[in-house]
Amino acid sequence: MQTSIHNTHFLLRRLHSLLGLLPVGGFLIFHLWENSQSRFGPAHYNEQVVGWLQGLNYLTLLEIFVIALPLLLHAGYGLLILRSGHNEWRRNPWLHHRLYLLQRISGIAILLFLLFHVGWTRIWGIWEPAVKADLFGHMQSILSQPPIFLLYLLGLLLSLIHLCNGLWTMAISWGLTTSVQAQRRWFLFCIALFVLLSAMGLHGMLGFIL
Amino acid sequence: MKRPRKVIVIGGGLGGLWSALRVAEAGFQVDLFSLFEVKRSHSACAQGGINACFDTKGERDSIWQHIVDTLKGGAYLANQPPVKSMCEEAPGLIQTFERMGVTFSRTAEGVMDLRLFGGVKNRRTVFAGASTGQQLLYGVDQEVRRQESLGRIQKYEWWEFLSLVLDGRDTCKGVTAMNLRTLEVKSFRADAVILATGGMGQTYGHRSTNSTNSTGAAACRAYRQGAWFANTEFFQFHPTAMLGDDKTRLMSEAARGEGGRIWVPQDPEDRRRPNDIPEQARFYFLEEWFPSYGNTVPRDVASRAIWRVVHEMGLGVDGEDKVYLDLTHLNPGFIEQRLHAILDIYRKFHGSDPVHEPMEIYPSAHYAMGGLWVDFEKDEQTGGLKFGSQRNHATNIPGLYACGECDYGYHGANRLGANSLLSASFSGRVAGESAATYLLGLQDDLLSVPEQYYESEISRQQEINRSLTESHGTENPYSLQRALGNLMSSQVGVVRDNDKLRQALESLKELEQRSMNINLQETSNWSNQGLVFSRQLQEMIRLGQVITASALARDECRGAHYKPAFDLTIPENTYPGDPAYEAYRQAWKRQNEDWLKTTIASAGKDGPTITYQPVDLSVLPPEEPRDYR
Amino acid sequence: MKTIQFQIRRQDDPYSPPYWESFSIPFRKGHNVVSALMVIRENPVTREGRRVDPVAWEFNCMEEVCGACSMVINGLPRQACSTLVDNLDQPIRLEPLSKFPVIRDLMVDRSRIFTDLKRVRAWIEIDGAWNIHRGAPRVSPEAWKENYLYSRCMSCGCCMEVCPQYGEDQTFVGPATLAAVRLMNAHPTGSYHKTQRLHAIMAEGGLSDCGNAQNCVRVCPKQIPLTTAIGELGREVTLQMLRDLFGKSE
Ligand SMILES: Cc1cc2nc3c(=O)[nH]c(=O)nc-3n(C[C@H](O)[C@H](O)[C@H](O)COP(=O)(O)OP(=O)(O)OC[C@H]3O[C@@H](n4cnc5c(N)ncnc54)[C@H](O)[C@@H]3O)c2cc1C
Ligand code: HEM
Ligand code: HEM
Ligand code: SF4
Ligand code: F3S
Ligand code: FES
Repeated sequence: MQTSIHNTHFLLRRLHSLLGLLPVGGFLIFHLWENSQSRFGPAHYNEQVVGWLQGLNYLTLLEIFVIALPLLLHAGYGLLILRSGHNEWRRNPWLHHRLYLLQRISGIAILLFLLFHVGWTRIWGIWEPAVKADLFGHMQSILSQPPIFLLYLLGLLLSLIHLCNGLWTMAISWGLTTSVQAQRRWFLFCIALFVLLSAMGLHGMLGFIL
Repeated sequence: MKRPRKVIVIGGGLGGLWSALRVAEAGFQVDLFSLFEVKRSHSACAQGGINACFDTKGERDSIWQHIVDTLKGGAYLANQPPVKSMCEEAPGLIQTFERMGVTFSRTAEGVMDLRLFGGVKNRRTVFAGASTGQQLLYGVDQEVRRQESLGRIQKYEWWEFLSLVLDGRDTCKGVTAMNLRTLEVKSFRADAVILATGGMGQTYGHRSTNSTNSTGAAACRAYRQGAWFANTEFFQFHPTAMLGDDKTRLMSEAARGEGGRIWVPQDPEDRRRPNDIPEQARFYFLEEWFPSYGNTVPRDVASRAIWRVVHEMGLGVDGEDKVYLDLTHLNPGFIEQRLHAILDIYRKFHGSDPVHEPMEIYPSAHYAMGGLWVDFEKDEQTGGLKFGSQRNHATNIPGLYACGECDYGYHGANRLGANSLLSASFSGRVAGESAATYLLGLQDDLLSVPEQYYESEISRQQEINRSLTESHGTENPYSLQRALGNLMSSQVGVVRDNDKLRQALESLKELEQRSMNINLQETSNWSNQGLVFSRQLQEMIRLGQVITASALARDECRGAHYKPAFDLTIPENTYPGDPAYEAYRQAWKRQNEDWLKTTIASAGKDGPTITYQPVDLSVLPPEEPRDYR
Repeated sequence: MKTIQFQIRRQDDPYSPPYWESFSIPFRKGHNVVSALMVIRENPVTREGRRVDPVAWEFNCMEEVCGACSMVINGLPRQACSTLVDNLDQPIRLEPLSKFPVIRDLMVDRSRIFTDLKRVRAWIEIDGAWNIHRGAPRVSPEAWKENYLYSRCMSCGCCMEVCPQYGEDQTFVGPATLAAVRLMNAHPTGSYHKTQRLHAIMAEGGLSDCGNAQNCVRVCPKQIPLTTAIGELGREVTLQMLRDLFGKSE
């Protein structure tokens, strides 16, 4: 019997992993780039960036199949994975174990953040044309409240830790990095990516309010 | 339909696993018993390697030379046909291990590498890094697991063999065993039983390199039910074992081979740290006494010299039983590279670094050449074993076989390094095959053996348990074992003396009495380790008596058995052809006429009865004395 | 008088609740945890002076090769026989491995490790343990060096103890068992049945249940490169998946 075909366990795991990287991770990076355009002012952001996006054909299909569904699948299966495993936070103080835990905690945190975040931007935009028309202004008003700014910052950092550590674990799961040295080198790359993306995300957030 | 025939194998070391495998492959059902998961058996401890003549080093090594080395090394005391077959089969056996997946060390061109081991001239020892025994054990363990998954072998781990079940004709038809968790005693029917229960070093207490379960208790139980012991007076002492309160750990010969020097302070009162003792205040006794060999004299010679320095000259370090093995004068980088495994063990268990501080060592009980007596059938055509004969590895109890370190087969009066992994594996294979032949010839149905034999054996064993758990004696079993160990290693150790042996026998009888008056300190009937240990202890004391009585009876020096009063040494600087040497040879031959015979110990009413059996010398007549010069 | 202090987590049998007891023995240089436990068993009196049942634990080789004596010592799973008391903070806390059912005191039932080895078919399929008059194919010294690292796994359970994905309520076979697959697949003839083993670890409880916490490799007393094995197997199963999905069917 070909376990990988007749038994869905393995394929589902790999699908989960892949989804985390490709549509979801990819979208996040794109999204942060999109936000970073805020620096060039409301007009540029609203018209050139958001406007261009909103003008795309089949946008709804893209949003559903490239963003929402993959995210929900990844998150849903992620929650299932979360049920396996033990919480041994205090016992094994090593870095990768801490990150293993953080991967799980951040998963849940992202989910909560997204409910709040997407609800207040994209979903609200459906009912409230003003929000949709001036996303820049909307974001500006939200982000200038310090608690919300902090919340966003947290959401951003946790998402990026999750993405970058996910990238690191993926490389082992798929067999890209095998030796200890390779894993360490890839880890350095993931840290660099994390720093870069954090800077980009922060830059975008500041762009709305400065 | 008749019930499928079944064999019980006791022991999951190399010997036991091999025999289980061969019985299963012959199509019979196997029940495999072990005190713990078989993977934890003592065989895992062997580091050095296993001998087999491959002659891949351009040295023209030959199987014949392997046979000669083994027989001479054992001072001709081993029956020769089995040794011949073992050496002949060794290469094939190793290749089988290789097929099983054992990670033998490799040469640059990818074939198995060979190393030099003590007592031989050619490189003949196959090895797997510094953990050969472990690798060999795991190799067979995997195959047994495969048979297990096919339903041919059923494991009973955490079960201790307690006794044989003998039917009305004194044929072995099963065993009783105790579940080490529930302490339940049960009987198991079988058409044949193979004992592969390993060594007996624990009779020397913590002064042994053996695992803590190598008690010899199982073999001793069979002995008390009628099986014979053979040659138990031959016990190999390893000269360089690192000291410890819990056990002594082997420091391989390589330490001396690479230039390690053995010494003690000249002044027994000298309490300075070893590094502070100047060169001229040290006594390098091996170098002084054996100028041509120095520190690389063979195991038994080194053990005796250390014994002499400590016991006769009172020069033990700090007045204790220890001497220094010094590597500190050697280049640290060099020894780190060559002796990494040893240094590692010493650092790990002693906490100090032998590169900077001399190691403290002492000879320690290492390997029992003797064990349960087993038969063999000679093939007149080849002069070796008749393979497939049901007599090979059969004990004197019909239906009972023995293999591995618990039999006495292959090493005569002294074992060659790296020959015992070979004998354990080979004998396991042969015993499994013989048992299968025996089963084929059986007529009666196992179920026809009346239940009463099993029931009465169970109640006898339960009675022993009850007497121990309910006894409110005064003796502590663990203290008793220490007493036993001290007694055995000081009186029945490296150097022996008839008066001391007689005293030891008395003391052992006394210890046996005391062991009947044990206080277990616990009443639990769940995983009661004290109960289990006490039962083993009683057997160890009885085994000590067998060893001592056999040693007392043998008035000569042969291999590991050394009684100075009967010593016969080669006159110095004489060689074959010299009149003095030839006179020695004649004396040696006379000694052989008197003593070249197998010691048989059988259980008598009050202690062991010693008799002798001739040795089969048909392969290599004893013309050449052992000569390591 | 200098002493060595112990706190030992005890349990009378698998069904009764655990409890702690303290012991103290006279100091002696060079004690390891097993030799200290031997002193306690000879005279099992708690610090409060109460006579109790001797502590039960498992040990055997006393040289760190049999894997019997694993226990949690001051929070870390280790081999008690090679853990020197002099290097530990006191009181020394001893607990049984938590990922396996306790039998008594510090003794646990690790039989699951061996069941899982069967599950992944960690053996070489040979025709029989008789002489076929030839050995196995050659192995390069480089390949040997790597394989040898894995062949020393003594099934001690330490790596499983710290693996957050391993436990009585989980099906994950654990790092050591995965490493065994790596070793068997690397053997020249063992590789003939590589696909079977890979399929076994592609099922529930297999490789993808590892969460890459990498604690395992930190505690292994034999320094087995478990995470490397996991990475190498990751590569193998990725290829196997592609073969299954797009290759020719069996
Ligand atoms: C430190 C050391 C190093 C060594 N190095 C080498 C070397 O380099 N080369 C070499 O050739 N030899 C070496 N030897 C010797 C060799 O290791 C042993 O002779 C050999 O492993 C014995 O194997 P065995 O199968 O007979 O017994 P063991 O491996 O001891 O197995 C005994 C089995 O019997 C079981 N058992 C015992 N009693 C009972 C009972 N009552 N009920 C149920 N089961 C029971 C145990 O559970 C165990 O499974 C060394 C020995 C020592 C001590
Ligand atoms: C760092 C600051 C962030 C800012 C300023 C920001 C801003 C926005 C804005 C303005 C929108 C509405 C876009 C639209 O309707 O077209 C949006 C949507 C969205 N954001 Fe963010 N975002 C941030 C971080 C994040 C993070 C960390 C995530 C998580 C992974 C995220 C996930 C999403 C998603 C999923 C949508 C809905 C997209 C869609 O369906 O079109 N955002 N964000
Ligand atoms: C911005 C959104 C997210 C991104 C970019 C993302 C990305 C990733 C990536 C790349 C991985 C690595 C996969 C691997 O190791 O093979 C991963 C793993 C994981 N994700 Fe997400 N993820 C996101 C959201 C979530 C959410 C909402 C959850 C669930 C609550 C979640 C739960 C998990 C879990 C549990 C893992 C670990 C899987 C494992 O160890 O096997 N993720 N994620
Ligand atoms: S991999 Fe290491 S820690 Fe795990 S069982 Fe094997 S030896 Fe023990
Ligand atoms: S700790 Fe466990 S999660 Fe994976 S990397 Fe090691 S097996
Ligand atoms: S007793 Fe064997 S590993 Fe500790």
